[in-house]
Amino acid sequence: MRLGDDSALEALYVRYGGIVFTLALRIVGDPELAREVLQDTFLRSWEGRETYDPGRGRVPWWLMGIARNRAIDMLRSRTHHARLREQEQLQSSTYVDEPRDLEVGLRHVVTQALEGLSAAHREAIELAYYGGLTQAEIARHLAQPLGTVKSRTREAMERLRTLLQPIIDESIKPSGQDRG
Amino acid sequence: MVDDHPIDDLAAYALGSLGGTERGRVETHILACASCAADLRAYREVVGVLPLDLAPVPPPSDAWNAIREAAAKQRARGQQSRKAIVLPAWLRVARWPAMAAALVALLIWNVTLQRELVRRAPGPAPGPEVEALSRRPGRIVILAGSGGASARIFVAVDGGGHLAVSGLPRLPHERTYQLWFMRTGSPPVSGAAFGVDRHGRAWVKVSVPASLDNVHAIVITDEPAPGGARPTGKPLLDALPWR
Repeated sequence: MRLGDDSALEALYVRYGGIVFTLALRIVGDPELAREVLQDTFLRSWEGRETYDPGRGRVPWWLMGIARNRAIDMLRSRTHHARLREQEQLQSSTYVDEPRDLEVGLRHVVTQALEGLSAAHREAIELAYYGGLTQAEIARHLAQPLGTVKSRTREAMERLRTLLQPIIDESIKPSGQDRG
Repeated sequence: MVDDHPIDDLAAYALGSLGGTERGRVETHILACASCAADLRAYREVVGVLPLDLAPVPPPSDAWNAIREAAAKQRARGQQSRKAIVLPAWLRVARWPAMAAALVALLIWNVTLQRELVRRAPGPAPGPEVEALSRRPGRIVILAGSGGASARIFVAVDGGGHLAVSGLPRLPHERTYQLWFMRTGSPPVSGAAFGVDRHGRAWVKVSVPASLDNVHAIVITDEPAPGGARPTGKPLLDALPWR
């Protein structure tokens, strides 16, 4: 990838294209926009491959960071209320479930960990991460004090950290083949 | 001296859910606080795996072809720009001394510029993050305004951006500064909303549009808090056209 090899980009796409598209679709809620995010993400990773820093996380997390930022940029170009409406629609919709072999064990644990959160904690995480809302915007939307929203977000993240850290560490350990 | 640990803000920061001023505060703090930096790394790892909870949706079947073609075009553009330029004979003879002189001049200019940046740098003293940014390929855009106000935007090729501002007056609570990318044929897009400290300085993360090709100007305006969808105020700082 760092050498600019086409086949490396293809391998990256084959492995992570699905999860990047899934994340983009979850955030922007429109397949065409999600496709745009998907393309931008891989092109940016291609352009910025020399700046990838393994110390800041594995390749898929780096890719998803790029995808999430791009998708949120798209969301932010719409009005705040339109974004909330879209998020409400997305929460009640379902996607086609096509199991893939991407880190199945980790996925299972992540799902369980999120299901283990209270509705309020999960809502705080989802509005922040997928909704692209700031803490102040979430507080206004939920009619809650800003301090309450921040504490709730931290509690939820602490809980997830406790549950997920062991398996994240484990997934990094074996070969490090995702790095670079 | 490390100020109060922004414990509640670290999680929100990792989720990309903080407004400009709070984001800047966290970024400043973690440069000097190893404990919070470690917590932030852990939160980022958690955020990195959150999408695994989503039921996978396969991308459109032709998406890969479009990406491959676009990557090929990018590579071709890169190769074209690297093609050797044929120099006239007199310049071929003089090119090495000329290049050496240019290099020395560039070095002197760079040292002078670095000193000036350090002297005028807004926000925290340049630390590892600024150094890291300066090493990343990308570009720096300088915004100028009246009354000694100025700003610099560091844009990395992977889309990350930071804005450093100095010389702006503090605004009342109901107002905020907002950075805009003015685009030809598309609505302006907001890069950040932020306040400045008592010295008139700010250091904030910027959302940079995926494509900067149609950005013809970058401006900072004074807007009602927490920021709007379009600029309504007069540009206080602006950059020359993008290219």
